[in-house]
Amino acid sequence: MPPTHDPQLLKGVLSLLLLRLLADRESYGYEVVQSLHQLGLSDISDGTVYPALARLERESRVSARLVSSSSGPARKYYRPTKAGYAALTDGVSAWLSLADVVTPVLSRPYPPQPVQPTKEV
Amino acid sequence: MSGTLIWTDRLRIERAVWTFNSYLQTLPMRSQTAKRRELRVNLRAASADVGTKEALRRLGNVRTMAADYIIAEYGGPRPSWWAAIYVALPAFVLMFWLSNARIDAFKGGVIAANPHATGLFHWHGVAYVFTEATFTFVNGKATEVGGTLLPLVYVCIFGLAILVGRLWRVLPTSRRQFAIDSDSE
Repeated sequence: MPPTHDPQLLKGVLSLLLLRLLADRESYGYEVVQSLHQLGLSDISDGTVYPALARLERESRVSARLVSSSSGPARKYYRPTKAGYAALTDGVSAWLSLADVVTPVLSRPYPPQPVQPTKEV
Repeated sequence: MSGTLIWTDRLRIERAVWTFNSYLQTLPMRSQTAKRRELRVNLRAASADVGTKEALRRLGNVRTMAADYIIAEYGGPRPSWWAAIYVALPAFVLMFWLSNARIDAFKGGVIAANPHATGLFHWHGVAYVFTEATFTFVNGKATEVGGTLLPLVYVCIFGLAILVGRLWRVLPTSRRQFAIDSDSE
């Protein structure tokens, strides 16, 4: 069973992940979800990703266009705008800087759980 | 891809899509249609990939998703036409009541001084609120010209309604929709 991830942590970094994936390749909603699942983030629900894409579009960080599909109705493809690339650069830098501080602290070995104190009589 | 879906799968997808749409009623009609179409396309792709049951399970709660879409659309609480009306209407009623009270008070003052007053009486108005007014009295009966609300009052009330109803959030939605439509043509 794949490891589960804290939904709050994921929510904080989801926009950044979406921008990064869309920078690799222009994609439509379900394709982005598939990419996230392939990365191991299978516990992100599709219903979280689709509104996140809509939010990025409102913030003008991605632009959308409808592309007709031979297998059905037209799909809405997203790609980062200039503002999106700028946000991605800033976000990646902020994330890496935070990780540089947090990772060494959290990966440091910690003492075992202290023994419960005995009850005073 | 959608050709592989059997009719029961299509029905289940449509049920999810229209349930989702029922929670989007506060969005403009064109935006609802666009979101419905996008969800349908994504669900059909997911259904062909992992099966309809799994696709719908992965979608999660459509009500929560719709709420997220509304926040995404407006960037916060949605605009409220009702809130704007609840503010603008009483404000207009109050201002028109004040206008009538002003007329009655002026007439009352003149008649109190002389119950059979005859002639022209001038009222200077209130800066930025009421225009000047001229009262014509004939044996204690008055008619008036002027004394209406100034445009600034209307501007302020409309401004207040926009502020309270967060109506500025309606505008970008239609602009974005226009951009998408232009792209697709």
